[in-house]
Amino acid sequence: MTTLIILSALGLVVLFSEIFGYKKIVLPFIFAGLVAALAASFIDWNIGKHYLNEMMIVDNYSIAFTVLMIAITIVWFIISPGFFRDQGSRVDHFALIIFALIGAQLLTSFGNMIMLFLAVEILSIPMYILAGSNKSNLASNEAALKYFLMGAFATGFLLFGIALIYGQTGSFNLQQISEALTTQQDGGGVMAVAGVLLIMVGLFFKVSAAPFHFWAPDVYTGAPTEITAFMSTVVKTAAFAGFFRLFATCFSASASIWVNTIMVVSALTIIVGNITAVYQTSFKRMLAYSSIAHAGYMLMAIISLNGYAQQSILFYAVAYSVSSIAAFGILLAVSHITKNDDVASFNGLAKKNPLLAFVTLLAMLSLAGIPPMAGFFAKYYIFTAALQQHYTWLVLIAVLGSLIGVFYYFRVIIALFKNENSAAEIPMTGIYKAALLFISLVALVFGIMPGLLAGLL
Amino acid sequence: MGAGSLIMLIICGVIFSGGTILVSKFFVPRTYNSQKHEAYECGVPTRGDSRVQYNVGYYLFALIFLVFDVEIVFLYPWATVLREVGMIAFVEILFFISILFLGLLYAWKKGALKWQ
Repeated sequence: MTTLIILSALGLVVLFSEIFGYKKIVLPFIFAGLVAALAASFIDWNIGKHYLNEMMIVDNYSIAFTVLMIAITIVWFIISPGFFRDQGSRVDHFALIIFALIGAQLLTSFGNMIMLFLAVEILSIPMYILAGSNKSNLASNEAALKYFLMGAFATGFLLFGIALIYGQTGSFNLQQISEALTTQQDGGGVMAVAGVLLIMVGLFFKVSAAPFHFWAPDVYTGAPTEITAFMSTVVKTAAFAGFFRLFATCFSASASIWVNTIMVVSALTIIVGNITAVYQTSFKRMLAYSSIAHAGYMLMAIISLNGYAQQSILFYAVAYSVSSIAAFGILLAVSHITKNDDVASFNGLAKKNPLLAFVTLLAMLSLAGIPPMAGFFAKYYIFTAALQQHYTWLVLIAVLGSLIGVFYYFRVIIALFKNENSAAEIPMTGIYKAALLFISLVALVFGIMPGLLAGLL
Repeated sequence: MGAGSLIMLIICGVIFSGGTILVSKFFVPRTYNSQKHEAYECGVPTRGDSRVQYNVGYYLFALIFLVFDVEIVFLYPWATVLREVGMIAFVEILFFISILFLGLLYAWKKGALKWQ
């Protein structure tokens, strides 16, 4: 709760910085506020509280995700300092990012369907604007429109599902819904089935799972790279945290309704995401498809309804966000010089910028799931959790999917070591380099010592 | 509520909405003439391109108006329980209104209220 208040106040302060003329000092202020919010998250660790008539439930699960998302946001603010430097409304965009972060935090800690809906909206609406924040670019405008239409459509599904569940159980409270679904005969009947399925469709849209993924590549490519970096890390993590929280706690009693559906969607997402990513020449678009594929792996954790699932989804979220933000950080630096985001712009990077190449190498290895990176253990935990539930064929598909993944991630690595000198010298500030190095080392450390994170929840 | 009633609802919905359209198709008298194919059956014919870009100011004004319009809706339930909840409700609503006021201030300073 303290975190929420700090973040909200920070958002307002940043929003008004332009009007009241303290625009110059706003960046240090943002960092101070985010660090304060990060520290404040730990207050409730191991205590477990609920606020506002159980609208918000703060437990270790939500705190762990909140800390991850705030940390990623801090890194985001370091790697995109020149974010729309040319445009006048830079601080407005920063404020929107912070508001989106508030939504993300709420999405990890809701205890009520109303709060779920509000959190999804608080998270989405700033993202719609930010996707179109490069106003002079047509692709960016298209991305915003597509994202908005699809997102609004998905929210409609979500709301309709919530309404049906309310009609059946007479409550918005997750605890009471869960109890009602357990005690009612045939698990709530047809209205519960329809409600759960509609909520699921809404959330599938948000996490871009196939066959609801069609908006994702266009939006990810069209939006400014900085925003794509935020979308594919913080927003994705938040959406999954919310998805998992809702289905693994509230709807776990009626698992027979949705487990098979999610299983098929998960397999489909892994296949579609990985195979389509192979054909991409643009690094940004490849990352978009790879993020779809990763959504498929994370869905596997939701259907593994055991104690193992919670920590495996947290580990996956950490490994994925960290490596993904590193990859986007490099893309930002490289595309700043080459002015495009093709894989080819990485050619010969190892010679000119060994540090950048090293970070790229670690990020790609982690995304591909090669030991000793964190991505390997993330996949390992997810697969173990799924195997414990005997979803053998799903794990088989997932393993095949990651094999395909190796192909396109390694294409980037091959480009790094090509004997070409197309990559020019890339000027970077010291703190930028330090941030990139730090996050890729985080991915390495969690890969070498997964126990640091795995036993947390 | 069982599956049967839901199916009944769907069937009734289809019959009711589809049936009305069908009925009107059978019973409505039709006449055809050249005016019938115009975009508007009444009013003067348009001159020039009928797609006009409205001044964005209209939208800005409408949005800001909407915020305070919705605020009034929130004030009604608040007003009914104010006596029971007491001082804390009063402070909370002041907080709520002041946040909305900050929004107005932001829009004002950004020049959204200036008609160009």
